Amino acid sequence: MNRNEIISKVTEIFHEVFDDESIVLQSETTAADIEDWDSLTHITLISEIEDAFDMKFSMKDVLSMKNVGEMVDLLESLQ
Amino acid sequence: MNHYTYDEIQTGHTESFCVTITGEMMDAYRRITGDINPLHGDAAFAHRKGYPDRICFGMLTASFLSTMAGVYLPGEHSLIQRVETAFSTPVLVGDTLCITAKVQKKMDPFRTIVLNVSFTNQDALEVCRAKMWVGVLDKQKEDSLNGHIE
Repeated sequence: MNRNEIISKVTEIFHEVFDDESIVLQSETTAADIEDWDSLTHITLISEIEDAFDMKFSMKDVLSMKNVGEMVDLLESLQ
Repeated sequence: MNHYTYDEIQTGHTESFCVTITGEMMDAYRRITGDINPLHGDAAFAHRKGYPDRICFGMLTASFLSTMAGVYLPGEHSLIQRVETAFSTPVLVGDTLCITAKVQKKMDPFRTIVLNVSFTNQDALEVCRAKMWVGVLDKQKEDSLNGHIE
């Protein structure tokens, strides 16, 4: 899966979790940019991404990701 | 009540219990929520809508998700974070439901377990299914706090 495909899949997950098809992800996107992105929704988001990409985030991964771009970087590195 | 800690729970861990929906439960739910919809309280109305009897409140059925997390899996250290529920078949008063939860996965960074839950009736028909994210509170933190107070 290339980077664009990863972004497309992550975007679909964001649309589903936040029930908002209008979300457009940028590398710089953070929780501050999406109104409903709180700590509980973050758990759901991580959970759905783990399932979709058949992987598990470590504590280090979760703490190190500063924005969507870094999340995609991490997913790309696991391909 | 169970007292599972996060570390004691493994993926695939399963818990189940059964409950019979009674008229008293329906009355109590109606009193608490104020949901006076006749589909749940008037058998004649339910017949006219094509049901054999009054239908159990969907959210009364779903309320046993709380019991699953708070009493069975993980039990005492539970904190429900998110629930997704679908109702596939109407539940009638008098039905006996067996609720089974299986740990789909653990999310170590959050101390959260993800449960797949299935409700089946006395005819082994699935009436409700759910996915539930449940935090497992840190028992050591509580013990340490108690020690500090003492």
